[in-house]
Amino acid sequence: MRVVIAEDSALLREGLARILAEGEFEVLAQTTNAEELKDAVRRKRPDVAVVDVRMPPTHTDEGARAAREIRETQPEVGILLLSQIVEAAHALALFSEHPEGFGYLLKDRVLEIDDFLEAVRRVGRGGTAIDPQVIAQLLGRPREDDPLAELTPREREVLGLMAEGLSNKGICSRLFLSPKTVETHVNSIFLKLRLMPAPDDHRRVLAVLAFLRS
Amino acid sequence: MEARYIRLLVVLGGLALGVVAYQVQIDNLGPYTTGLRAAASVAAAWSFLAAGIAALSYRPGNRLGPLMVATGFALLARQLRYSTDELWFTVFFALSEVGYALVAHSALAYPSGRVTDPAERLFLKVTYATVLAFPIAILLFHDGQQRLRYFDPFPRESLISIAEAPGFVSFLQDAYAVIAYGVLAAAFIALVARKLWHSTPRARAILAPLLLGAVVAALWAVYNSVVAFSSRPPDFVTENVFWWQILALIALPFALLVGLLRSRLAYVGIGDLLLRLESVSPSGIRDELATALRDPTLEVFFWLPEQDAFVDVHGLPVQLPEEGPTRAVTMLEHEGEPLAAVVHDPILRDEPDLIDVAAAAARLALENARLQAEVQAQLTKVKESRARIVAAGDEQRRRIERDLHDGAQQRLVALALELKSAQRKHGGTGDPEIERLLGDAAEEVHIAVEELRDLAGGIHPGILTQGGLSVALDALAARASVPVTVDARLERVSPAIEATAYFVASEALTNVSKHASASSASIAATLENGLLVIEVADNGVGGASADGGSGLRGLADRVEAQGGRLRIISPAGEGTRVVGEIPCAS
Repeated sequence: MRVVIAEDSALLREGLARILAEGEFEVLAQTTNAEELKDAVRRKRPDVAVVDVRMPPTHTDEGARAAREIRETQPEVGILLLSQIVEAAHALALFSEHPEGFGYLLKDRVLEIDDFLEAVRRVGRGGTAIDPQVIAQLLGRPREDDPLAELTPREREVLGLMAEGLSNKGICSRLFLSPKTVETHVNSIFLKLRLMPAPDDHRRVLAVLAFLRS
Repeated sequence: MEARYIRLLVVLGGLALGVVAYQVQIDNLGPYTTGLRAAASVAAAWSFLAAGIAALSYRPGNRLGPLMVATGFALLARQLRYSTDELWFTVFFALSEVGYALVAHSALAYPSGRVTDPAERLFLKVTYATVLAFPIAILLFHDGQQRLRYFDPFPRESLISIAEAPGFVSFLQDAYAVIAYGVLAAAFIALVARKLWHSTPRARAILAPLLLGAVVAALWAVYNSVVAFSSRPPDFVTENVFWWQILALIALPFALLVGLLRSRLAYVGIGDLLLRLESVSPSGIRDELATALRDPTLEVFFWLPEQDAFVDVHGLPVQLPEEGPTRAVTMLEHEGEPLAAVVHDPILRDEPDLIDVAAAAARLALENARLQAEVQAQLTKVKESRARIVAAGDEQRRRIERDLHDGAQQRLVALALELKSAQRKHGGTGDPEIERLLGDAAEEVHIAVEELRDLAGGIHPGILTQGGLSVALDALAARASVPVTVDARLERVSPAIEATAYFVASEALTNVSKHASASSASIAATLENGLLVIEVADNGVGGASADGGSGLRGLADRVEAQGGRLRIISPAGEGTRVVGEIPCAS
């Protein structure tokens, strides 16, 4: 899988490049600001771009804005945004209605190297990777006659992982559960939340996120 | 000698000279005049004397009084030239026309008693030279036989005749008629017209009596030129025009006197000013001075020594206008220090005492107003410095957050990542103790990253920096203890304004959870016409105010420092609305 990195801190950029290379990604370019990033993505057409939200010159939201432009001009390129802080509101504002090929993770998540590489891969394949902290915020939102209250703690856990973008297989390995058990939990969740069962992972994420943000 | 003795002397001398002048005409002109005509010429002179004496007693400092007195005497002395006595004839013929020059001088010197305009001064010089030179020249060449213009058939002897040249004398008389009744009279009328045309409305009202002067000059010129150049003047002219010009001449000094006393009325206005200023507010002083000095265009500015500048009543610096035909500036001082500048109609310069008296009356009030303007100016400075202090504080916090975010945090994450990579590479091949140590170290660093993140977030909300106000408000609402709806779709504005609006919402929500006992709340933010309005409303118990121990007072300070205002609408039992209005320079 081919990847472009945009990160202004040299140390972190090198570290990212190394673990991605070791994870058998082909690092096409390491860029340090939004303009370089857009240029590299246009020329090299990566599967995924790993982008720091804050970059020079203003250190506010250059990365996020570049990501929005890339998603408009080259929707086939997956974008994984890394941020020192994550907020559900920000995530929702960034992916709006389209979580496909989009990721939004706290920077520290790179320290869980395997999970991180898996997230990059997912986004590169057109999947979703939303930070657990964002999902926790969405799950914790006060609701009137909350259907989430009917879920068992285990089901809540599975719902959270689904919302992060994990597939059944991913959930299995994360929770050390059998595929059959996970499937049972998933069906039970969809029933309790009165959601239509989704035919694939992609539409499942859409349905779950749509439910959580409503 | 005391002024009233001088006036008495003038009255007695004028009366005596008037009687003599009347008698000289009756005795010498015989059938060429009538008692009434002789009396009329004396009356015109007396009217100048009377007006002059009145002016002397009411406006002792004004030179118009002495001028009019001199004019009266000159007009009386003029009649003595009809005497058959050689000495009287010679002396008073030589001076005969000075009276008319003095009439013009009085008119042009009105109302100040001084003639300052260069054109007017030139005119008077030429006029005085003309009215003296021609009669003297005529006397020098008079043969004692020739019938002089305006004189009865009886010859007069000139004591200073040096040659007998009747032809030349005729020429001189014609030339004088053309110059005096034609050129000089026309020039005088033109000067009056010019003066009125260029003056301000107030000046025009004061200068109105000059119109009568122009009428006098016109009638005088018409009458004299007709009499000078026709061998037998028509009765219409000798009867009507003569009387009209003499009546106008009689009226002129009184018109000047009334005008002079009217401006004296302004002093009465200053008496009122003194009383009213006791209760007037600083901003009202201008109006009171304008009324007292009858100059609606008048402006007052105050001197601030520490700013080295003049300011208006609000303490804002102003540039004094240039002195010019429509604006004059008078500086007022107090104990050697500049106090204020009065910008006014230049006509007030004609009565310099007037402004001084008004300024003296207004001194205390002006000093007060100056102090108030000074306080206003200081307040403006304090407000500006408060805004700068708040802005500088915010900027510092943003800088620290950014430095932590882009410096220490990034490095620590990178370091933790190195440790993790090392741990992985080491995995299974080496000493399990080293692998465990590497893992622990990475975990410690990760904890440090999280602590640093909390610290940075406490200093300045990073989400505000990278997501903008709308996103930051959503995030704020998501963490609130009660359900909060957010209606905010804003473009990014300046960081300082975003921060202020964010802190309004954040502090208001803190109050909602601490004090309001509300079950829900809402945040709305709009940006219209350069005004950002942020409103936080709840359905709680109300009764909040900025006075208590709540953070609302500090919040109001922040908003006001940005030039905005904070309103707290919180009737007991009806919920609370906190509305911040912050102007954004776009």
